[in-house]
Amino acid sequence: MKHLFKPEVFKGVLGILVLLLLVKIVWFVLEVLWLPSSGVDHMAQKGGKALYYRVKLTPNEAAAPVATPTKAPVKQASGSIKEIKLLAIYNAADVTVITVEHKSKTKVLSRGDDINGFVLQGAGNNFATFSKNSKTYKVLLLKSKSSGKASVKPVVSKPVTRKPKAKIAEGDVTDAGDHKVIDRTLLDHYAKNMDDIYKNVGIGEVRNGKDLAGFRITFVRRDSPFAKLGIKRDDVIKSINGQEINSYNAAFGVYKNIQNIDNLTLVIQRGKEEMELEYEIN
Amino acid sequence: MQMVKKIFITIAVIWFALLVLMPKQELYYKLEKELAKNGIKINEKNIDEGLFSLTLNEADVYAKGIKLASVEKVKFFTLLFYTQVTLDKLHLDDSLKNMAPTRTEQATVTHAVWNPLNISVEAEGSFGGLSGAAALADKTLRLDFNESKGIEMLKPKLKKDEKGWYYETSF
Repeated sequence: MKHLFKPEVFKGVLGILVLLLLVKIVWFVLEVLWLPSSGVDHMAQKGGKALYYRVKLTPNEAAAPVATPTKAPVKQASGSIKEIKLLAIYNAADVTVITVEHKSKTKVLSRGDDINGFVLQGAGNNFATFSKNSKTYKVLLLKSKSSGKASVKPVVSKPVTRKPKAKIAEGDVTDAGDHKVIDRTLLDHYAKNMDDIYKNVGIGEVRNGKDLAGFRITFVRRDSPFAKLGIKRDDVIKSINGQEINSYNAAFGVYKNIQNIDNLTLVIQRGKEEMELEYEIN
Repeated sequence: MQMVKKIFITIAVIWFALLVLMPKQELYYKLEKELAKNGIKINEKNIDEGLFSLTLNEADVYAKGIKLASVEKVKFFTLLFYTQVTLDKLHLDDSLKNMAPTRTEQATVTHAVWNPLNISVEAEGSFGGLSGAAALADKTLRLDFNESKGIEMLKPKLKKDEKGWYYETSF
C-alpha cells in the first residue's frame, strides 16, 4: 500500500502541532489562573465641586442678587503715579521701607502700604515698584532736589524687590486683620517652581484604611511665606475654596487653578477644632 | 546532524508559539494591575494585538488620579531576546510645562539579551533629542541631552559635563 504522505513528514507535522498545543495549554492555564481578564481604568471623579469664589451678595439693594468678587482692602484712590516722588529707600532681606513725597507731604511706606491708590510692591537699589489695578509702575529715586520730578514708567515685567541672584520667591504674605493678603508674585513663583513648595512645607497623606482621606502638614519652615499663612505642623487640610481635598487629583486641581483665583479659603483641622483661614490674593 | 536539526526546529517552534499564542492583552492587563498598585493608571481607547506586538491607541496616563500625559500610540514589541517599547507623540499635561518639556515626538526604550544589564532610551521632541541608558546592575539612569534648547525648566535637575547637559538618578 502506498502512503499518501511520507511517515517522517507526518510525524514532524504532528510533533509541531503537539508542541503548539502544549504551548497553548500552558498559556491558557496561566491566563485562567494568573492573568486578569480586564484592565484597570482611571475613573474620573464625578460630582466634584468646582472651586468657589467668595462673593458679596446684596439681596436688600438689588432685585436680583449680584455676585461681586471681594475687593482688596486697599483704598483705590484716584490719582497719578507722577505725583509720587521717591526720596529714600531702605531695602533689607526681610523688609522694604521707602520714603515718598506726595502733595508736599512726606510719608514712610513699607511693602503693602498704599499711597494715592498705589500699593508698594517692592524696591530695588534706585527704584520702587507700585501696583494699581493689576498694573505695575516703577518710580525712580530722585537723584537730587534740582532734578525735580521722579521718573515714572509703567513696567510690564514683574516688580523687582531685590537683586535676583537665584530663583528667590518674591512677594510676601501680609496680615490685614481678619484675613491675610498673599502677594500674587509669590503665588506665581510657587506655581512655577513646585520644588520650592516642598522646601518650605511638608505635606503627607492622611489615610482612612486604604483610602486617602486628606493631607497633613508635616513641617512648615520658619520664616517662610507658608509659616506666615498661619498653617502649622499636624494641620489637616480639609478643603480649599470649597473643594474637598481628599485626593491627589483634587489637590492638583487647586494647584492648576491657583494662578486664576483672587481669594483662597482654607479649611483645616487643628486637633479637634476645624478652622477657616482666609486669604486674599493681590 | 538530524538530531541537531530536530532540536533546532523544536526550539524555533516553541519560540514562535510562545510569541504568537501569548495572551498579550491579558499580560498587559496584568501590567496595568501592577502599575495601579503604585497609583499609575492607563486609559486607552483601544488595544491592537499583532503577532509579535501589542499597540495601545490614544492612551492617557494618570498618576494618583492626576492626568500626566497622553500618548497617541504605545507599541510593545518583543521577540523575547529583543524587546522594544515605542511611544509616539507623547504630550505631557500643560500643567506640567514648568517642570518638563511637554512635547515628545517619539521615545523608544529597548532591551536586548546581548546587552542584558542595560536598557537603552532614546527620545526626540521639543527639547531636541536625548539618548541614555538604565544600568540594571548599578541601578542608575543617565540621559544625555543632545541640545540645550527647550530644557530650561529641567536645568535645575540636570548636570553638565563636556558632552553637555545630562540627567542622572538612581532607582
